[in-house]
Amino acid sequence: MESNHAEASRTAAEALDSLTMDRERLAGRLRVPWALMAAIGALAAWWVASAATARPGAAYEPPATGWIALLGVLVVAHLVQRETGARLGVMGARAAWATAGILVTCLALFSVSLGLVSLELAWAVALTSAVAFAVTTWLAGVAYRAAVEHVRRA
Amino acid sequence: MRDARFDETIHAPLRLRICGLLRRVDRLDFALLRDTLGVSDATLSKHVRTLSDAGYVTSRKTASAGRSDARRVMWLALTAAGRTAFDAHVRALQEIAGPSS
Repeated sequence: MESNHAEASRTAAEALDSLTMDRERLAGRLRVPWALMAAIGALAAWWVASAATARPGAAYEPPATGWIALLGVLVVAHLVQRETGARLGVMGARAAWATAGILVTCLALFSVSLGLVSLELAWAVALTSAVAFAVTTWLAGVAYRAAVEHVRRA
Repeated sequence: MRDARFDETIHAPLRLRICGLLRRVDRLDFALLRDTLGVSDATLSKHVRTLSDAGYVTSRKTASAGRSDARRVMWLALTAAGRTAFDAHVRALQEIAGPSS
């Protein structure tokens, strides 16, 4: 009787351990698709660069590139799923913070770019655009890696 | 209160592992699941069919741009019933395994 219970307990513990090991294996297979992360960075850079053609002031109208870039991000997100073979769903707090960081950074860089254009320094938008590319690519990678870590943890 | 319930369909080792992987994601590609579990196509198909018949797993095929032939990517996901049954089964295993698990 006692040995049956011990055997059942051991089998159950092994089954639970196998779930942990499978999660480890899956997380190990999910590499950050850096080319697609760079594509998201390029979309962010393009949106920030669109500030160069805007007219800051009373007649300001937000460029339509924002919506197109958003659509582009959705297409890239779909391609990430196809590339990796996994749709991760719930990403976890760290990935959410990284995503929020992308939004805040891009909005801040877009605002700075508008300020530069109003000071007739439109050429400097190339710099803010380059920063948007680098920061967005990096943060997108951080977000993906954090989402994979969320899969790894129980 | 969340109850623990032993599920005979899920309890088979490979089916438990399939559910365990699908539980952590929205959906997985059949090939990624197969490679992660280290089983053959036929073995995985058989167990996925059993889980589908029980209403625990759904499958959806989409075209694959990366393939020149007519093969499609098969996406697998746990249903709401599958998530509930898996969670209850894991709680049952934890109760059996004891406090050290």
